[in-house]
Amino acid sequence: MSLVSTTPVATTTPIIKSARTRVIAVIMAVIGLFSFVVFGLGSTVRSHAALSFTPLNLVNAPWHLGSLTVATRWTDIVLSLIIVALAAEVFIRQPSRGVMPRFGIAAILFLVTLLFWAARTDGPSQVNSVNVTSILVGCSATVMVLVFGSLSGVMCERAGVVNIAIEGQFIAGAFLGSMIASTTGNFFYAAIAGAVVGGLIGLVLAFFALRYQSDQIIVGIVLVTMLSSLSSYLNLQVFTPFPNFNTGNLASNLAIPILSKIPIIGPVLFNQSAFFYLMIVLVAVVSFALFKTRYGLHVRAVGEHPRAAATVGINVVRVRYINVVLGGAIAGIGGVAFMATQGQFQVGYTSGLGYIALAALIFGRWRPSGAVVASIIFGLTVYLSYELVTYQVPVSLYFLQMIPYLITIGVVAGLIGRVRPPAADGQPYLRD
Amino acid sequence: MQLELRGITKRFGSFTANDQISLKVEPGQIHSLLGENGAGKSTLMNVLFGLLRPDEGEILIDGVVTPINDSGEAVRRGIGMVHQHFMLVPVFTVAENVVLGFEPKKSFDRIDYRAATEDIRRLSQEFHLEVDPDAVIENLPVGLQQRVEILKALSHDAELLILDEPTAVLTPQEIDALMDIMRSLAAAGKSILFITHKLKEVKAIADVITVIRHGQVVGTAEPSASESELASLMVGRDVQLTVTKSTYDPGDEVLEVRDLVVLDDRGLVAVNGVSFDVRAGEVLALAGVQGNGQTELVEALVGMRPVVSGSITLKGRDITHLSPRDALDAGLGHIPEDRQRDGLVLSMSVADNLVLNTPRRAPFARRGTRNLAAVKENAQRLVREFDIRTTSIEAPASSLSGGNQQKVIVARELSRNIEFLVASQPTRGLDVGSIEYVHRQFIEHRNRGNGSLIVSSELDEVLALGDRIAVMFEGRISGIVDPTTSREDIGLLMAGHTTEVAGV
Repeated sequence: MSLVSTTPVATTTPIIKSARTRVIAVIMAVIGLFSFVVFGLGSTVRSHAALSFTPLNLVNAPWHLGSLTVATRWTDIVLSLIIVALAAEVFIRQPSRGVMPRFGIAAILFLVTLLFWAARTDGPSQVNSVNVTSILVGCSATVMVLVFGSLSGVMCERAGVVNIAIEGQFIAGAFLGSMIASTTGNFFYAAIAGAVVGGLIGLVLAFFALRYQSDQIIVGIVLVTMLSSLSSYLNLQVFTPFPNFNTGNLASNLAIPILSKIPIIGPVLFNQSAFFYLMIVLVAVVSFALFKTRYGLHVRAVGEHPRAAATVGINVVRVRYINVVLGGAIAGIGGVAFMATQGQFQVGYTSGLGYIALAALIFGRWRPSGAVVASIIFGLTVYLSYELVTYQVPVSLYFLQMIPYLITIGVVAGLIGRVRPPAADGQPYLRD
Repeated sequence: MQLELRGITKRFGSFTANDQISLKVEPGQIHSLLGENGAGKSTLMNVLFGLLRPDEGEILIDGVVTPINDSGEAVRRGIGMVHQHFMLVPVFTVAENVVLGFEPKKSFDRIDYRAATEDIRRLSQEFHLEVDPDAVIENLPVGLQQRVEILKALSHDAELLILDEPTAVLTPQEIDALMDIMRSLAAAGKSILFITHKLKEVKAIADVITVIRHGQVVGTAEPSASESELASLMVGRDVQLTVTKSTYDPGDEVLEVRDLVVLDDRGLVAVNGVSFDVRAGEVLALAGVQGNGQTELVEALVGMRPVVSGSITLKGRDITHLSPRDALDAGLGHIPEDRQRDGLVLSMSVADNLVLNTPRRAPFARRGTRNLAAVKENAQRLVREFDIRTTSIEAPASSLSGGNQQKVIVARELSRNIEFLVASQPTRGLDVGSIEYVHRQFIEHRNRGNGSLIVSSELDEVLALGDRIAVMFEGRISGIVDPTTSREDIGLLMAGHTTEVAGV
């Protein structure tokens, strides 16, 4: 009795494409058809809106691209059809990568159609022009905060600790940042203070998560709840009686010669506060450290398979402490950066950006570069939904403010199961 | 390297896992540590590798007392360990895994991957451990992953290699390849400490055998000792290694599976068009290396996993899309692969666990309330009949040993009037005595004229129990053969070769 044939049977396992992609495609199609019918076909007024490309406040702009006047109805119809086309492409081709960016683009296009529709709607203060540059400059602040937050998440989660306290680190950083900036007049000291307080909050999280193996999500939520209440209390006790501690400073912009004069992107990328440039440097540094260095290999090993890391002599607990504290410091600086774009501290004004940063982290597949792309998409939707309020869209303010969170839910739900987090993310590490 | 352990004792609370263990490994020697699960082998190795600290005793390397406080130190002292559950990061490449913790460095803390790759190639050639340094671990078959573990140890200049149950996850051919590697390593002067409970392998490779039981060294043996001698030394009493079955006289088809397709948790096809029949009075044993779709197949049969296409018929009734409860009610008995997760509620009492599959049915419940007297009576009877060793029927299931936990499940499933038994890895982690017992229960079930499907990655078990043996590879049945088929041929089927076995 012997085996005649020694050919292995087929070794490939076919993948049945998940229905999830099609669900996303259907959602995109619904969005597209909605804007097609309501903003396009449904509107009876055939009016125009101007697209302006010159920044409003940059007086020394040597260029003037002027503005482009478009028929709002037709623009809305075209943009809606693009959304529908994207949906059809996703539905039919079911691409294995890039579904989420397409969804993000569809979401942004939807907000733009809403913007156009709003721009020419009759109302008490009719707005007939949409300034593209000022929208981009405006959203860059939100994007920056989200990048700080999701970088913090990358640092923590790559080492296997879920930092859901980013929101709390924002709040603490913003509070302390405002106090230091108001008293010293120097944002450098404010940033240091933000990093320290964010790092300390990270240390508390790490202590409970690593020393007592507590549930990291619960510790994080508790920290956010505590810090937001504490900030309200201190605001009442300190900032209200002593307004000098919360005077309102905006970080000044440092225009980079020549580069800042580039049309459209110049003011967005090269006429920013020091915090913005710091963010760019941090993205590069964190990327390099995580993927090119020994330190990064150790961090990723600890986040994927801590026991394997421990058997080659890596101190899992120490690596996690270091990363959670550094991640906390980054989020703390993010809080100061946010405060520096708003001028002063206000209770509750981070309004869940820390959680959206976590969603951006997942969207960006736990990579710094991905987190930047995700933050741009999310930041734009967050900013546009606030911007729409000033256009006096005949839609409830509260509904508009729900939009970024709805998109976040869609994105996170669509991603779960498709994208792999670090294998030990959120898992306590037990030595024996 | 010469390694000596002197009087190693390790206690966990009042439990002594290692009691005055002494042994000596000479350079170039393959020293086998033989013992049942729970005998204290793994504890001893963790002590040696610095993961646990001994309460008493000392470790001598080349005659010098050397305390080992953490695994980094063990590695620096030349001790390498190939863990039973590989200590490899699945998403890293071979090179990244090998250098982890000992990375060659360039400026700015960067890793010098070129140097690392060259190092791996050199070691691969020297010890005939071919593997692509740039391959990602999770894409490699288990046998190759194990090579990476060995390479990792060698790259840290290990002089003594500890292999902890290295053959548990391998096909027979991969086991042969591993044995060759071990021999060539020993020939190159490396010492090898080989931990196992498999008698055949010990006899095939060991130079010296140390047997431990209940944390103590109970003797040493020569590889020439017979298997039953080794088994009785290991268990502490005479053991029946073979089961006696009545003659094979199959009846009608009980279970028919046709073109079954089932997905795994990631949505990939795990069971890819599987068809088979099982007849009354027959045991179909399903062999195969773990992770080839057996788990998903079993879960689909008992309703724990949705069926994408195909059909399952039990005595003419279509049970393809039943819920687990309906599947049990239809007459299936299920002994799950992970007994602690899917077989028992560990915090509940033995008595409650014994009625876990029929808690709402008479006599255990009436009009929506439980009949605790019937539950108790049932528990007392089953504990007696199935020889379940427990302090009380009210003791939580978690307080039982692994063997007795499995007896609870076997008692629960087989005491009911079932049409068909599905058992998955039924003796994994059990001691030889419990294995003997569980096998006898299965054979009695068969001799009463019932059908069974028994899934096992242990070839010995498959050969002992199966009236026919189906082999699964990458989601398909690569062949159904007689139990008289040679181990080598079944091994080839397990590695994915097709059956064109003469006369089968």
